[in-house]
Amino acid sequence: MKAYFELQYKMTNRKFKAAGIEPLFAYIILSIGFVTVSVFLFYKSAFAIYIYLLAALAGIANLSETRRNEFLKLCFGDSKLKKIRIAENLAATIPFLIFLSCRQLFFPALVLTILSILLALVNFRTTVNFVIPTPFYKKPFEFTVGFRNSFYLVAAAYALTIIAVAADNFNLGIFAMLLVFAITLTYYTKPENEYYVWAYSLSAKRFLLEKIKTATLFSAALVFPIAVMLGIFFSQSIVLLLVFYLAGWAFLIYMIVSKYATYPNELNITQAILLVICIGFPPLLIFMIPYFFRKSENRLTSLLQ
Amino acid sequence: MIAIRNLSKQFGTNEVLKNITINFDKGKVYGIVGENGAGKTTLFRCIAGLENYEGEITADLKPLKNHLGLLLTEPFFFSKITGTEYIRLMCNARNKNIDDIASRNIFDLPLNEYAAVYSTGMKKKLAITAILLQGNEYFIFDEPFNGVDIQSNIIIEEIIHKLKALNKTVIISSHIFSTLSATCDEIHLLSKGAFTRSVQKNEFAILESEMKKASIGKKIENLGLT
Repeated sequence: MKAYFELQYKMTNRKFKAAGIEPLFAYIILSIGFVTVSVFLFYKSAFAIYIYLLAALAGIANLSETRRNEFLKLCFGDSKLKKIRIAENLAATIPFLIFLSCRQLFFPALVLTILSILLALVNFRTTVNFVIPTPFYKKPFEFTVGFRNSFYLVAAAYALTIIAVAADNFNLGIFAMLLVFAITLTYYTKPENEYYVWAYSLSAKRFLLEKIKTATLFSAALVFPIAVMLGIFFSQSIVLLLVFYLAGWAFLIYMIVSKYATYPNELNITQAILLVICIGFPPLLIFMIPYFFRKSENRLTSLLQ
Repeated sequence: MIAIRNLSKQFGTNEVLKNITINFDKGKVYGIVGENGAGKTTLFRCIAGLENYEGEITADLKPLKNHLGLLLTEPFFFSKITGTEYIRLMCNARNKNIDDIASRNIFDLPLNEYAAVYSTGMKKKLAITAILLQGNEYFIFDEPFNGVDIQSNIIIEEIIHKLKALNKTVIISSHIFSTLSATCDEIHLLSKGAFTRSVQKNEFAILESEMKKASIGKKIENLGLT
């Protein structure tokens, strides 16, 4: 287990070095950035706790990727894998836990700890080859594959909305809506095999617009039940609801253009930092989206001609 | 027609394709043979526009890639996408609406199951079905017969004959000479990034015997099997 974490540490350092950043400097910058964004978030938003928990869980969710876990299982076996996964999840949540504890938010910290342990133990992969029905089967692939990987989280978000209405808690309802948007963001985090871009007989611009159209339409469909419930039961806050709806869309579009701006490589550290900055100050998206759209267009032109 | 002029490709200092010039005409089937690492897949990727290259690749239909059905040696599939959805994705990509996918399932694939759990041969058959339904004019089949059962091999051979009859341009690579003999009009031998030999149908047997001689030589005898 020690060797595994040493290897993870080496790999992380290699990534920083590959990006031209000295690892020690990267850790310092990331720590300062994390504290700054956290302080800003709690200062600025009433939903800070929800967003904070969501961000932490989204980070952990990346570690739960099926193929990665299958590989680890092959290498370490079942019992060791569970230990590694729990340790990983806890390590990933430590910065969040420290910050929450400093703010004396012990209950959210406890919830996060429990969820991170549970996520490490639960294996979401079905052993039977059961095809999960999806409303998005007519237009593969992001939402088709994504929905099948995360349907339980969508269901959880719907359940949270019902709780929010029952408890007359608008903030919780907004959290549920943002959760669904955050889930759809994860559909666009990994670059697909180049064949699935090459196959399109579209220009780079049309390709990107099609991706954005599909994403906005399908994400709207997923968020729609939550929005309707919140709209009915919290009609006085409908403007705020619309603002969050639009923000969700904007982040989704940002994610798409950001992904293809570095295609076929994965999102780089700069983009991740920019995303965090945009979460802190969403109006920046007005500039970031066109910027990354143009970058994506240039990037895809050679493949799509 | 696909015309290739002075095509060269380098990976770092490794020159994989060396000044290749060749025409692939309509209504003809071309076989590309060569040992592993000879440059076949790189040649196909260059034609498809998946690689940058030096030289010129042109086609009568432009852009070439939008009319090209490309079967990769190991087709990639997403983990949670069914056979039907894969075909729909590939057809959507070419703005082709196929209503009744089930009736076009010539290989009797379990199209309602996830494609990622298909066997190697089934994956290949699914990828072939998809590129056929895209309605392409040019086809590149990189190792179409590998891992595929004998019944399906017969179907693939028939498909290639049909494509030729429909005046399409077909390029195949295979390590199974008999399948190339049965389907191709011309076979080109690619060696170390250059075409070293090109033969017409009436010379296939000679090429096969030459290749056999060159590949085997006295290697088997050297084993000293008794």
